Amino acid sequence: MKFLLFIILLTSALFADGYGYNKTSKKGVAPVNNALYLKECGSCHFAYQAGLLPANAWNKMMNNLENHFDTDATLAQEDWITVSNYLNANSAEKNMDYKRSSRIVNSLRGRAIPDSISQTPYMIEKHNEIRPSLITQKEVKGIFNCMACHTTADKGIYSSRDIVIPNFGRWKD
Amino acid sequence: MRILLLSLAFLTLSFSAVIDDYLKDLSAQAKQENPNFNGFDTKRGEVLFTSEHIGKKGKAISCVSCHGNDFTQSHQNFFTGKIIEPLSPKANPSRLSEVKTIEKWLRRNFNDVYNREGTAQEKGDVLTYILSKDQ
Repeated sequence: MKFLLFIILLTSALFADGYGYNKTSKKGVAPVNNALYLKECGSCHFAYQAGLLPANAWNKMMNNLENHFDTDATLAQEDWITVSNYLNANSAEKNMDYKRSSRIVNSLRGRAIPDSISQTPYMIEKHNEIRPSLITQKEVKGIFNCMACHTTADKGIYSSRDIVIPNFGRWKD
Repeated sequence: MRILLLSLAFLTLSFSAVIDDYLKDLSAQAKQENPNFNGFDTKRGEVLFTSEHIGKKGKAISCVSCHGNDFTQSHQNFFTGKIIEPLSPKANPSRLSEVKTIEKWLRRNFNDVYNREGTAQEKGDVLTYILSKDQ
């Protein structure tokens, strides 16, 4: 019996990733389902799912579009309102049944509002084993380019089995 | 068939009308900004488009960095790698077909490359240069 308990504890410790296991019934993150968001944000970069950041972080970003990662990403006022409303209505803390949204929100507890998805503690931890040169190589360009390695990122799926890193190959956890 | 042809002809007309009307507006503004203004210039547009400047990101870039030199081909965003559809309205009919979108990109991209917005004359020159490549 003791041995059985030990095994159970050991396996749960093996699978825990430091942010606890909430009850998340859905994989990944809810896919983007707003045409204007896809068009306006997706014309310069990957259209990150709204469930990858909490509302306060999206609002921080949307209030600084003149200087959006050192580019001008300003929008017409009516489009700004539509995109902001969409991000707020679908942000991570409203999607806690999705695994990735829940992990991101939990990792941010007690932390400052992040400036980007890649600055959330969960994302930093998930990417810290990857050699920096694989991230900066020209086929990837930077950590912002989800689709370069996560082949199903546009569907909201970031599973390790769908990772193919250019000039490296499949990623095994 | 005739209706199809007619509506196609109408669509082509209405598309080119958008950019023509916009250039007329820019021309009136340019005259206000500078009484000596006498029309947009392809050559000035080319210099604006191809010359490199230290942009908003602190790196030397030009419009070519993201749009390339062949406007009938798509190109990659210099920083993010995202594909940018061709600038040529002939190759890409949705290009220059909506004033709101034209103004948005001129505002953003002048800021990104020149660290300031373009004047009416500069915007008209750049658009005239882009259109001239379709001739």
